[in-house]
Amino acid sequence: MFTLQTADDVLRRADWTARSDGNGARGRSAHSLIRLLSCIVTFAFLYGAVMGSFRGLAGLPSWEWQMLFSATKVPLLLTGSFFITLPTFFVLSTLLGLRQDFTATVRALFAAQAGLAITLAALAPLTMLCYASTSNYSQALALNGLMFAVASLAGQMLLRVHYRPLIARNPRHRQMLLAWGTAYAFVAIQLAWLLRPFLGTKGLEVQFLRTDVWDNAYVVVVRLIWRAVFG
Amino acid sequence: MKRLAPFFRQRLAELDRLLRGDATQAEALEDNKLDVSAGGLLVIAMLLAAFYGLCMGSFSLLKEMPVELVDPYGPVKQVLASMIKTPALFLLTLLVTLPSLYVFNALVGSRLTLLGMTRLLVAAMSVNIAVLASLGAIVVFFSLTTKSYPFILLLNVAAFTVAGVLGMLFLLQTLHRMTKSEHREHPKAVAKPSIQMKSPIELTPLTSQEKSKSETTSSESTKGTLQTSALDMPQGQVLGGSTKVVFRCWIILFSLVGAQMGWVLRPFVGSPNMPFTFFRERDSNFFAAVVGALQQLFTGG
Repeated sequence: MFTLQTADDVLRRADWTARSDGNGARGRSAHSLIRLLSCIVTFAFLYGAVMGSFRGLAGLPSWEWQMLFSATKVPLLLTGSFFITLPTFFVLSTLLGLRQDFTATVRALFAAQAGLAITLAALAPLTMLCYASTSNYSQALALNGLMFAVASLAGQMLLRVHYRPLIARNPRHRQMLLAWGTAYAFVAIQLAWLLRPFLGTKGLEVQFLRTDVWDNAYVVVVRLIWRAVFG
Repeated sequence: MKRLAPFFRQRLAELDRLLRGDATQAEALEDNKLDVSAGGLLVIAMLLAAFYGLCMGSFSLLKEMPVELVDPYGPVKQVLASMIKTPALFLLTLLVTLPSLYVFNALVGSRLTLLGMTRLLVAAMSVNIAVLASLGAIVVFFSLTTKSYPFILLLNVAAFTVAGVLGMLFLLQTLHRMTKSEHREHPKAVAKPSIQMKSPIELTPLTSQEKSKSETTSSESTKGTLQTSALDMPQGQVLGGSTKVVFRCWIILFSLVGAQMGWVLRPFVGSPNMPFTFFRERDSNFFAAVVGALQQLFTGG
C-alpha cells in the first residue's frame, strides 16, 4: 500500500517529491530520496520480471531464471546510469553556480526516474498480452523498445514540471539538464548493451550476461554503419 | 592521520570555493590576487589527477592478453603508471608553460606577479582536474566494459577536452574579474584607456545597447534571482581586445604543450596487446594518433 501511495504521489507531483523547505529539510530530503529510490527499484523490478517472461509465454525452458535475471537488471539499468553520472552532475552544477539547487535537482531527477519506472510497470500487462499473442523475438524486442520510449516520455513530462520553477529561477538549469541528459544517455546505452539479454532468445542458453559482454555498443553501431555505407 | 584530515578538509573546501565561484567574486579579488593556497590546492589537484589516472589505467584490467605476452602484472603496473603519469602531465605542463606565460604577460603590461599568476594557473588547473575527476566514474565504467582500444583513447581525449574547456573558461573569467578589481584600484587608468592604459586586460567601453542590457541584468541580479557562477562574465563588462589576445595565446600554449606532454608520457591507457612499458618510443605525434584511432574505430583494423 505504501508503495502504491508513493507511486500516486510521484504521478500527482505531491509536495514531498518536489520541496524541502523549513526545519529538518535535510532529513526529510534524504527520506524522500530513499522513498523515490525504493519506488524506482520496485516498479522497475516488476517490469523486468514481465519483460523476462517472454521465454515462459513462448514455451521455452528456464523461463523462471530469465524472469529473475531481467527483474534484477532493469532496476540496475535505471539506477546504475544515474549513479555513474552523478559525480559529473555534481561538479558541473557547482561550476555553473547551481549548487544551492543541487538537492532539488537530484530529487527532480529521481522523481522523473520513478515516473518512468511506474509507467513501465503500468504497461507491463500490455507487454504480457503481446507476448501471449506472438512468440516472435524481434517483435518482442521492438515492443519493449516502444514501452521504454513511452515510459521515457512520461518521465520527461514529470521532469519538465519539476524543473520549471528551477529554470525560472536560473535558466542555466536548462543547459545543465541537457548536459547531464547527454551523459546519462551515453552511459545508459552502454549499460543496456552490457546487461543484455533482457528477453532471452530461442537458440541461446539463459544467462545473466552474454559471454561477449565486454564489448562496446557504440563501436558495434559505428562499424555496422561503416560497413553498410562503404562495404 | 589526525593532522592530515583538517588539512585535506581545508583544501577541499578551498577547491569547493573555487568551483562555486566564491573565491573569484570581485570582492574576494580586491587585492588583485586570488586568496587560495597554491601549494595546498596543488596537493588536492594531484590526488584527483591520480584518481583519474586510476580510472584511465583500469582499461588494461579484466582484458584477455595474447598468449605470447607473458606479463601477468602488466595491467596492475599500467594502473600504477597512469596514477603517477596523470599528475605528472599536469604538473609538467604547468612548469613548462609558466615562465613563458609570465614573461609574455608582463611584456604586455599585466600587473599580475609571478606568485599571483602561479596561483591563478594552479586554480584553473585544479578546476580542470576536478571536472576530469568527476568524469572518472564514466571513464572507468567504459574502460571495464569495452574491448575497443581506440574507443577508450577517444573517450579519454573527449574527457580531457571537456575538462580543459571548462578550466580555460574559469581562467578567462577569473582573469577578467582580476582586471576589474585592478581597475577599481587604478580608476585613472580606466578614465583614459586608450592613452594611459598599458595593461592589455582593459575594460572595453560599453555601447548604449550593451549598457542597457547590463543594467537589466544587474537589476535582475539585485533581486537575488541569479547566483554568479565561476564561469560568469562580470556584469557590465565585455571582453577587451587585448584580453582576448592574451587568453588565446595561453590557450594555444597550454593545449599544444599539454597534448605533446601527453604524447611524450604515453601510454596512459595501455593496449592489452602490448607489453607494459613506462614510456613508448618517440615517434609520430598526438594529433596523428587521434586521427589514427578514429580510423581504427571506424574500420576495425
